[in-house]
Amino acid sequence: MAEKLYKWLDARLKLTSLSHTLLDEPIPGGVSWIYVFGSATLFLFCLQATTGMFLALYYVPSPDTAYDTVQFIQHEVLFGWFVRGLHHWGASAVMVAIGLHLLQVYLFGAYKRPRELLWMVGVCLLLIMMGFGFTGYLLPWDQNAYWATQVGTNMVASVPLVGDVLVRVLRGGDTLGALTLSRFFAVHTLFLPALIVFGIAVHLFLLRRVGPAGPWSLEQARQRSEPFYPRQVYMDAMVMLGVFLLVATLAWTVEFPLADRADPADHTFTPVPEWYFLFFYQFLKYMSGPLEPLATWVLPGLFILGLLLWPLIDHNPERRPSSRPIALAAGGAFLLVVFALLGVSLWNLYTLPKTDPSVARGKAIFAQHQCVACHRIHGDGGMVGPDLSYVADRRPDRQWHIKHLRNPQSVSPGSIMPSFPLNEKDLNDLTSYLLNLKSESHKS
Amino acid sequence: MAITTELTETRRSFFAWITGLATSLIGLGLAVPFTGYVIAPALKRRESSWATVGTIDRLRTSEPTELDYAGTVRDGWRTVTAKKAIWAVKQPTGAVVVFSPICPHLGCGFRWDSVERAFKCPCHGSVYDVTGKVVAGPAPRSLDILPSKVEQGNLLVMYKEFKSGLDHPVEL
Repeated sequence: MAEKLYKWLDARLKLTSLSHTLLDEPIPGGVSWIYVFGSATLFLFCLQATTGMFLALYYVPSPDTAYDTVQFIQHEVLFGWFVRGLHHWGASAVMVAIGLHLLQVYLFGAYKRPRELLWMVGVCLLLIMMGFGFTGYLLPWDQNAYWATQVGTNMVASVPLVGDVLVRVLRGGDTLGALTLSRFFAVHTLFLPALIVFGIAVHLFLLRRVGPAGPWSLEQARQRSEPFYPRQVYMDAMVMLGVFLLVATLAWTVEFPLADRADPADHTFTPVPEWYFLFFYQFLKYMSGPLEPLATWVLPGLFILGLLLWPLIDHNPERRPSSRPIALAAGGAFLLVVFALLGVSLWNLYTLPKTDPSVARGKAIFAQHQCVACHRIHGDGGMVGPDLSYVADRRPDRQWHIKHLRNPQSVSPGSIMPSFPLNEKDLNDLTSYLLNLKSESHKS
Repeated sequence: MAITTELTETRRSFFAWITGLATSLIGLGLAVPFTGYVIAPALKRRESSWATVGTIDRLRTSEPTELDYAGTVRDGWRTVTAKKAIWAVKQPTGAVVVFSPICPHLGCGFRWDSVERAFKCPCHGSVYDVTGKVVAGPAPRSLDILPSKVEQGNLLVMYKEFKSGLDHPVEL
């Protein structure tokens, strides 16, 4: 039956010659596990596209709804947390895959004549992918999203002369708000996908015109060749499965929680960018004052231009790494700087005092139950009950607070405080908040 | 001239088979969660809640009274206040019956005609008596009765919707 259908289609569409063109492309020097990164990147892009489409079923891009709809996906839709987890971890994985792909091409000198254009389009695809990362980060509209995008767009404002106009265009106004969210959404889900699909098509077209580069040793490349199908396809498929299992495991086991709802008034929040922007984030910290525009725009601009035009800059026709000391040293130095900055940044982040999310929830419960009617915190609230500004200095014991909130008179006889009907989780969160109310000298 | 590596037919089909297996596993790993993700909220039954619509001393025996129901319902990711008018009738026995405001024929809103002492639907002319029974017109069943209860003199109602056109009430 299937064979009959194939023959019917083949007679009309000439599928056999098409599959020959697509699958029997000879790979100089034979197939290799080192050639899988491009396919892995393409697979991850498809995973992002698919999970993104499914997220769009429930996501609504407006400041009033974005956070609630993401919460809805995360907590109420069956497998919603998993689909969102796949999209989140897939975004990181695609950056890693691109990095490895670029590294392999660089190491093998595969960007050299006649493959210069292939490399240049690849660099454009990398930039588009970073655009996806930047625009996608805002969409959940939580504190991290809001403040990280605030910083990101402010950097655009530091461009000389046109910065002010640029940042307005980017935000859709003078502040980050509803118009920023809707345009980031449109760019993330409509404009960039259209652009990248076109870019990928050109990238693949160029690959087929110039052919895969093969090993750096010309003798090896000339000795033998092997068609793309079936062994390279098999290797690519195995790697795709491995990558999928890795991303799925991460999505399944590592929860990616939302921060609090975006609050433009809360200037105390310290945003952290995605890890693939961290090295740049750290770099900016070293460049302050008059050096800042240099760091934000001039150096990255020159770097991207250099990366784009690298096949024209590097004239050495030799592909063997041992004959390209300068190119390899430059690449190595770049990697060293990036990873050093990433390392320093991660180290700083892990030593940063962390705020426990239960503290924020406890604060909300405190507000919700009108505790402030009787208790004063930093000058706000009633005077009926004790001032709680530094309550944890006096009462650092968690169990005492839990008992006290359950039944005030059990630990504080004669207290006029009513007991509140709180469940176990609310009780714990409220206690975490109370224990966070301490003076600087008591903070470790 | 380069030597092209040739594989035996068995080896070729082995690699093809493994490739198919790997891609099927990925497909399956995605298809299952995606299906649940799309279907689950669509199949979820709308939950309704009890809401007080007024005190029962406002009701007079056998005189239908239109009351406002304002209950919270989940509409996807939103929690909205649903406002509906419902008809409450105190029976001669003292029990209170609450009718859904929607005609079971094709879903129009009906009115109480106090002169003719009948519920009348303006769309297709269905007429019901004060107990909800069909007395004229195309309606296939009596008016739909909503769950109600009396607590401390207050009438509580749970709003529901029913499929129209059937001869017995089926909740939506």
